[in-house]
Amino acid sequence: MAKEQKTSGAAAGAAAFKTFTPMAARPAPKDLTGVTAWLRTNLFSSVPSALLTFLGLWIAWSVLSALVSWGWVNAVFQASSRRECLDKVGLSGACWPGVVVWIPNLIYGLYPKDQVWRINWGALLLIVWLLPLWLPRVQSKIIIGFSTVLLFPLLASYLFLGGPKGWIWTALIAVGLTGFLWSLLTAASESLGGGPFLRLAARLMGAKTAEEEAQRGRLALLGLFAIAVLLVTQWNLDFVPTRVWGGLFLTLVISGFAITFSLPAGIILALGRRSKMPVISLLCTTFIELFRSVPLITILFMFNTMLPLFLPAGVEVNQLLRAIVAVCLFASAYMAEIVRGGLQAIPRGQYEAASAMGLGYWQSTSLIIMPQALKIMIPNIVGIFIGLLKDTTLVSIVGLFDLLSMARAIARDPGWIGLFLEPMFFITVVYFIFCFAMSQYSMSLEKRLGAGERR
Amino acid sequence: MKEPLIELVGVNKWFGSFHALKDINLRVAEGERIVVCGPSGSGKSTMIRCVNQLEAHQEGDIVIAGRHYGRDERENAAIRSDIGMVFQSFNLFPHLTVLENCTFALTYVKQLPKAQADAIALELLTRVRIPEQAAKYPMQLSGGQQQRVAIARALCMRPKIMLFDEPTASLDPEMINEVLATMIELAESGMTMMVVTHEMGFARKVADRIIFMDQGEIVEEAPPERFFREPEYDRTRLFLSQIL
Ligand SMILES: Nc1ncnc2c1ncn2[C@@H]1O[C@H](COP(=O)(O)OP(=O)(O)OP(=O)(O)O)[C@@H](O)[C@H]1O
Ligand SMILES: [Mg+2]
Repeated sequence: MAKEQKTSGAAAGAAAFKTFTPMAARPAPKDLTGVTAWLRTNLFSSVPSALLTFLGLWIAWSVLSALVSWGWVNAVFQASSRRECLDKVGLSGACWPGVVVWIPNLIYGLYPKDQVWRINWGALLLIVWLLPLWLPRVQSKIIIGFSTVLLFPLLASYLFLGGPKGWIWTALIAVGLTGFLWSLLTAASESLGGGPFLRLAARLMGAKTAEEEAQRGRLALLGLFAIAVLLVTQWNLDFVPTRVWGGLFLTLVISGFAITFSLPAGIILALGRRSKMPVISLLCTTFIELFRSVPLITILFMFNTMLPLFLPAGVEVNQLLRAIVAVCLFASAYMAEIVRGGLQAIPRGQYEAASAMGLGYWQSTSLIIMPQALKIMIPNIVGIFIGLLKDTTLVSIVGLFDLLSMARAIARDPGWIGLFLEPMFFITVVYFIFCFAMSQYSMSLEKRLGAGERR
Repeated sequence: MKEPLIELVGVNKWFGSFHALKDINLRVAEGERIVVCGPSGSGKSTMIRCVNQLEAHQEGDIVIAGRHYGRDERENAAIRSDIGMVFQSFNLFPHLTVLENCTFALTYVKQLPKAQADAIALELLTRVRIPEQAAKYPMQLSGGQQQRVAIARALCMRPKIMLFDEPTASLDPEMINEVLATMIELAESGMTMMVVTHEMGFARKVADRIIFMDQGEIVEEAPPERFFREPEYDRTRLFLSQIL
């Protein structure tokens, strides 16, 4: 419209006006581009800046060279005890063999060595379950993602814990297995162009109409469940008490629970706190403020020592479970405030537009408000996740052997007595890898979701 | 006179202790175009927002096509589905494409299948002359284009009434005309419209009646010629001398 008017105006007035021709763009002057120019503007733009550059280089150099000479040049890689290391290089080099022989313990804790495959299989299971999320042709990604988050714990807890199982337990494990099989089959059938698995199965069973499809699809799911039950009843694993769980494995179990629980719980708490119903809002606010104003270590202690006092005699709550619940509640309180912050950043007009279009509260919240708010919150959410992974080190005070406690145990091993620095260095690297991966993932997620939506 | 499509009877509204709407009485017949004007803070937005109950009123009755707003939220939502609204700040959903913005309510409120929703959305985007922008995100569009998307989005629900709250107030002068042109076309198609605006040229051209508000009251209500030529009240005269 606007364009038409402009051109017609120009045509009408062509005789009366001079024509405007824009000047051609010239390349930027040489001293604005190139390596030397970059160096000059960024590192040596003035005398103080040049001095700071040299100071920074000197600090980086001294730290790195000290680290390399300790950890690599002077380090011992072959030895059978700490004594041997000390005889060879004294304290000037690292003694890696102590860490190397302890690596299985650092990863799996005191989990029986002949059962460790169960943990590996658990990890593999998770990876395979999540793999379809990266396959381009899979459509049901959201459901597969949800099924993993909700159902993987069911399957994994039996895999890790083992022991006798009643029929409820059996059914739950079978539900988990059904979810896994369904995800695999769906991913396969969608990748091969057959559409969602249940629909495919229904069509193979001769369904014609949409109604029949839904009905036979449910039947197929039930069949899958029956197969799962059959498999699960055949499946007997030795009982491994949580007492012997430890190391990186335990750290990941606790933080994994906390991470997956805290986000939905935080969302619910945040919505509750903003609710117009005073009772709900008061309850949520109280919970959030209570758990946020107490250190995690205190909450862990309280759950560990006080919870048994409130429970009826004879009811024993597993120590690991107590720690997990404590960390989860703590994390949700923090998450709730982050989510609330994100919700507040969404202009009121978005709610108004949604409700003027006839959307209800839940629809506008889940489809309009949350997706936008979550996107803004990604850095903060991942910040909490990273914090959680590291905070799990606190569970050592209630007698659980997480990665940090296992690393400290090396110093008490008679053969490696006093070996402290090297294990610390090792777990520092492990923590760094996990945290760095999370932060990188969050950045790529931000970039992907932000495409085409710059404000 | 025909049965009115919108009827406000003795409507009063308070924000806390502040009396924002005072005894508003208004009847709008089907196909009628009403322009609402008045100084800032006079309650124009509040009144128009009461019509689709984005703001609840405390006293009086609001009747849309014979149905009263009440306590029943379902009934209110059903009444509201006959009303489309366009805002000053567009309020498009930035995380959805233009097409998805338009199909959103069709999919989630009317629960139409995707193909049908897409067809309706494209038809209306064509009507506001931007079908080629369907795949873009709102932030990639100019202000005028965004507002036209907002109009198309509201029209997708096939409303009987369209409300506009200063639709051109945050646009550059060049873009105001393209949005006004769209609104004029809409008016010519016989849509019942209530428009809060300071665009007196538009009011003169399109309005059946102009309503002038001040301090929460309707001061004057007249067809455009009379409104501009011989307003009854000195308050109206003062206002007109300031904006014309
Ligand atoms: N949510 C609210 N809470 C309290 N007061 C409000 C609220 N919304 C509006 N008001 C007050 O009600 C009065 C009328 O506001 P309204 O937004 O309807 O004015 P308006 O005529 O649309 O003005 P403008 O031309 O500036 O948009 C103003 O005095 C305003 O301060
Ligand atoms: Mg206003």
